[in-house]
Amino acid sequence: MMGQAFSRPMIGSVLAMTVGLGTGCSHWIEMATPIDTTPPAYATVAADARVPLLLETIRVTQNGSSIAPPAILERQVLGAIEATRLFSQHYQSGYTQPVPGEARVTVRLSIDNLVEPHAGQAAWRGFLVGASMFTLAPVISLNYDFGAQMSLEMERWDGQIKRYTATSNGSTHYHLFGANPEIIEQLKGQVTEACLSSLLNQVIQDSTFYLASNEQPRGNPIRTVSVGVRHSPSRAVPVSRPLTDASPR
Amino acid sequence: MGSLLVYILLIMLMAALPSPAHAADPKPQITVGTQEVGLSAGYLLPHRLTQDHTTKQQGVAFMPSWMITLTDPIGNSWYRGQVSLGAEMVYIQFQEPFVTHGVGFAPKIKYTFVALDRIRPYAEFAGGPFWTDLAGKIPEESSQFNFVLMAGLGVSYFLTDQTALNIGYRFNHISNAGTQYPNLGLNASLPYGGFSFFF
Repeated sequence: MMGQAFSRPMIGSVLAMTVGLGTGCSHWIEMATPIDTTPPAYATVAADARVPLLLETIRVTQNGSSIAPPAILERQVLGAIEATRLFSQHYQSGYTQPVPGEARVTVRLSIDNLVEPHAGQAAWRGFLVGASMFTLAPVISLNYDFGAQMSLEMERWDGQIKRYTATSNGSTHYHLFGANPEIIEQLKGQVTEACLSSLLNQVIQDSTFYLASNEQPRGNPIRTVSVGVRHSPSRAVPVSRPLTDASPR
Repeated sequence: MGSLLVYILLIMLMAALPSPAHAADPKPQITVGTQEVGLSAGYLLPHRLTQDHTTKQQGVAFMPSWMITLTDPIGNSWYRGQVSLGAEMVYIQFQEPFVTHGVGFAPKIKYTFVALDRIRPYAEFAGGPFWTDLAGKIPEESSQFNFVLMAGLGVSYFLTDQTALNIGYRFNHISNAGTQYPNLGLNASLPYGGFSFFF
């Protein structure tokens, strides 16, 4: 009897709260442009023909203002280059340097980030959500856009330079209770990763240019290595999960 | 007491000013989605704005709150700041003219100025339903169901990147939006202090 008396309102309330909280906590990421315009490039190169690489500079601007490149970005860039296996060793300016006079490739990377947090829209929509006593939280979404344009300059030991550019944009959409610093970091990470992959894909297509001997291995080479861009498995979009289930930093 | 307060404020101001040591410190990074929980306490002091207002209601107030940051810092000048949205519970124990109680829930919007690093002034506005058993016993209010509106200014001092002390002032208005008469409303000042934790 008790169960019948409470069942309908109770079930209705629980359902409404579950749906409301579930929807109000959701977020998803959209990549605005095709990640790669060219198919992933792979090549086989002679391991002994590879030369060391020196990451000389990373210049980063955000909305036109220069900022110090975060240490994690330097590691991400160097890690992505290292994962291609196109170079024999990887050095970073300010740390251990390659042997002077040894053939090497010097890399200069320029990253222009464009952040559009839609602050005015967020403030106005936030006001509406508050004025509705949070009942509109599940239906009013907030947006955060992030774009990156990267220019990669690679200088060979003999002074020849090749330049590559790549652009990537993405947006994250979230409801009030799904707002979380991690979703912004996820968006930035995915956009940066997409841009970096596109750049390195172009580099791989020119892989013979960066070998000490500009000849592809023929016949039965002594030792070869496959080079290519390793795509991160975290590319999957969209993401929708409650706040408590956010991925670790 | 007054000189001690001035001394404390001076120390807080000096700590917030840029210095070689402080320049190396990471300033509190409050980004989109950063949440804030806090607890404030204050004392309600009455304002009788017309001759019809006779009640000198006063008492202690407790305000646990939750907020979420909606924007990254906006602007590049002294007004650089960010918007956050949240809600707070308001509990007031009226000591005068009768020992009575009031409790409310108020969605709240806040603009925090971030140009001074660790010292962050803010402006806030909150409003929501408020129940009190003081109404009916005084000439200004007849119904126990009311609304509370609060607008105020305050300043947060970040002790760490995640913890801040807050002091502020709010103007507090309680009335029933004309759902029952008389409805003169109760007005009060609410100076308060408290702390917040950011995560």
